[in-house]
Amino acid sequence: MLSDTLPKAASKTGEQIAVQIDGVGKSFAGTVALKPIWLKIARGEFLTLLGPSGCGKTTLLNLIAGFLEADAGELFIHRDLVTRVPPHLREIGIVFQNYALFPHMSVAQNVAYGLRTRRVSKVEITERVREALALVKLEDFADRRPRQLSGGQQQRVALARALVIRPRVLLLDEPFSALDRNLRGAMQVELREIQSSLGLTTVFVTHDQSEALSMSDRIAVMSRAQIQQIGTPDEIYDRPQSRFVSTFVGDANLFSATLISSSGKDVRLKLGEVGLDLTTYQSDLPAPGPVTLFVRPEHCRLTEAGSPGAVPATVALAVYQGSYTELYLDCPFADTGRAMLRVPASTVMAPGTAVGIALPQQGPAIFPKE
Amino acid sequence: MSKRPFLGWFASPSILIAFGLTASFLAIIQYSLRAHVPGSLDPGGFTFDNFTTLWHLAYGRAFMNSLLLCIWTAVFALLIGYPLAYAMIRARSGLLRSAILLISLTPLFMGEIVRTYSWMIVLGNRGFLNSVLLKLGLIDSPIGFMFTMTGVVIALVHFTLPIVVVMLAAALSHIDRNLERAATSLGAGRVRVFFTVTLPLSMPGVVAATSTAFAWTFSAFATPQMIGGGQVSTISTMVYQVGFASFNFPLAASLSLTGLLFAIAVLALFNTGIRRLEKYGAH
Ligand SMILES: Nc1ncnc2c1ncn2[C@@H]1O[C@H](COP(=O)(O)OP(=O)(O)OP(=O)(O)O)[C@@H](O)[C@H]1O
Ligand SMILES: [Mg+2]
Repeated sequence: MLSDTLPKAASKTGEQIAVQIDGVGKSFAGTVALKPIWLKIARGEFLTLLGPSGCGKTTLLNLIAGFLEADAGELFIHRDLVTRVPPHLREIGIVFQNYALFPHMSVAQNVAYGLRTRRVSKVEITERVREALALVKLEDFADRRPRQLSGGQQQRVALARALVIRPRVLLLDEPFSALDRNLRGAMQVELREIQSSLGLTTVFVTHDQSEALSMSDRIAVMSRAQIQQIGTPDEIYDRPQSRFVSTFVGDANLFSATLISSSGKDVRLKLGEVGLDLTTYQSDLPAPGPVTLFVRPEHCRLTEAGSPGAVPATVALAVYQGSYTELYLDCPFADTGRAMLRVPASTVMAPGTAVGIALPQQGPAIFPKE
Repeated sequence: MSKRPFLGWFASPSILIAFGLTASFLAIIQYSLRAHVPGSLDPGGFTFDNFTTLWHLAYGRAFMNSLLLCIWTAVFALLIGYPLAYAMIRARSGLLRSAILLISLTPLFMGEIVRTYSWMIVLGNRGFLNSVLLKLGLIDSPIGFMFTMTGVVIALVHFTLPIVVVMLAAALSHIDRNLERAATSLGAGRVRVFFTVTLPLSMPGVVAATSTAFAWTFSAFATPQMIGGGQVSTISTMVYQVGFASFNFPLAASLSLTGLLFAIAVLALFNTGIRRLEKYGAH
């Protein structure tokens, strides 16, 4: 089963499982927020839950944290069965999108909170709070109130507060979505550095695909209350297993085609008059008939109109992007009527020019027509 | 000004009210400084005697009673109102939430007199409460609730509960649930979360509710008058007694004026408290 695969790093060290989710699901008054899922997260792994709004990401996080009770299934953290363990005993660190810092406490008191509940000695608290604040580069802000800090600083305090208790798992629910672009990039790097230096098992929720691609060991792409595909970022990007995943992560060109025949991974397709012989990465292919052909824009090449095997199109719009130009093409076979190619920035193309789209021999995929 | 053509029209009623209030206030001030002419409703010449008369023990007791009533009422209204407000905000079932809201708001829909009479029926020596306690064998003879501080406090708590519940509920509903979740994830059990996060963050609401309950109780008249039955004299019942039993308007005026200043002083104290607590507020 797909979701049972573990990243290579983990299997080498011998099944060091941090979190195991066995058939955990959740419904609210008739609406299914999360269908039962099976998932193993390795120790030290950075797993990202990626998906559109309402697909159940927060629900899954709350189930792991224990803020929601699962309808069915079992949950293990470090081999302990925690399905019925209350959240305050699960030793999980959480960072929220809105930081959720205690406004009536100083930064140091916020960070110390989790140590106080654990009855750690005063001396040790002081030391560990200082360490945690140093880790997020906020040593000089210990006595401030949360609202005297910028958004990025507040989020770092929230991170320090969650890390100081040395949690078994760190959960982050869209932690950077309230930050501006530059700061977000800096925080992503910082989090990833801290996470890998501590070897901390992390479940990170986002609906930003580029964030997911750049940070994760594995990505679980979710939609409609379930995990659609789980894998390393390059697996998800290069070998999406469904139309949804192909369009949700990265840009995709989708063409309507007819599958004539297939043998193994080799397929014979027709787009109108144009016949194509391609090799896909898929192990199961749809039956012959109308299908959707998926190709990444960077795998498409611009050629002259009428070249053999090229999909006919006309230039609609050229959008200059600095280092390259996005060329939008009107194409009768494209699913949306439009296809997109990236061409060198120096390329000049007048709208209306007839061109051809050359598709790669290797790498495209074929999904059933929806 | 030209952008708000109706401002004048909208403001005029409030000007009228302000004028009326100022005028009556000035009248009270000037009454309080006039001599009482026994047998006449018209006051005599200027004097400060009314205020010196107030140093009398009976008036001191009225002030003391008013203050005690306020404190006890506020304390019990908070002790009962906080759990109610908490349950109203946090209950999962919508039915339960509406039920709590409805029950805690009903006292607002009854007139003061009706409500007080109901309490007289409940608290009387052969009233509902005593009958039940006697039947259950918990007491041998009826407890005298009527004409006591206890009875008055019970009725006043009922009177102030709606406003306390509503104000506390407003404060509690503004607390970000993620704060409590964060505390929980850091190892705090329910009780600890409540005392270290929920309660401190609701303090501005607690102070506001308390000061309102204070003002509400301080100005209450029918309840201490009817349930206290003259045995529990407060500033407001005293004003009534002096003004409309003895027809000593000047003394009644000086008594209300002093009472007002007293109430303002107490509320000012609370306001500084609120401001200090708002520094820690949730925003
Ligand atoms: N307490 C609740 N009561 C009823 N329905 C809920 C509750 N919490 C979540 N849902 C529903 O469950 C589904 C999944 O919600 P969830 O919050 O997990 O989505 P999400 O993936 O986190 O979305 P977003 O990206 O917007 O945060 C949604 O359809 C939501 O309406
Ligand atoms: Mg969410």
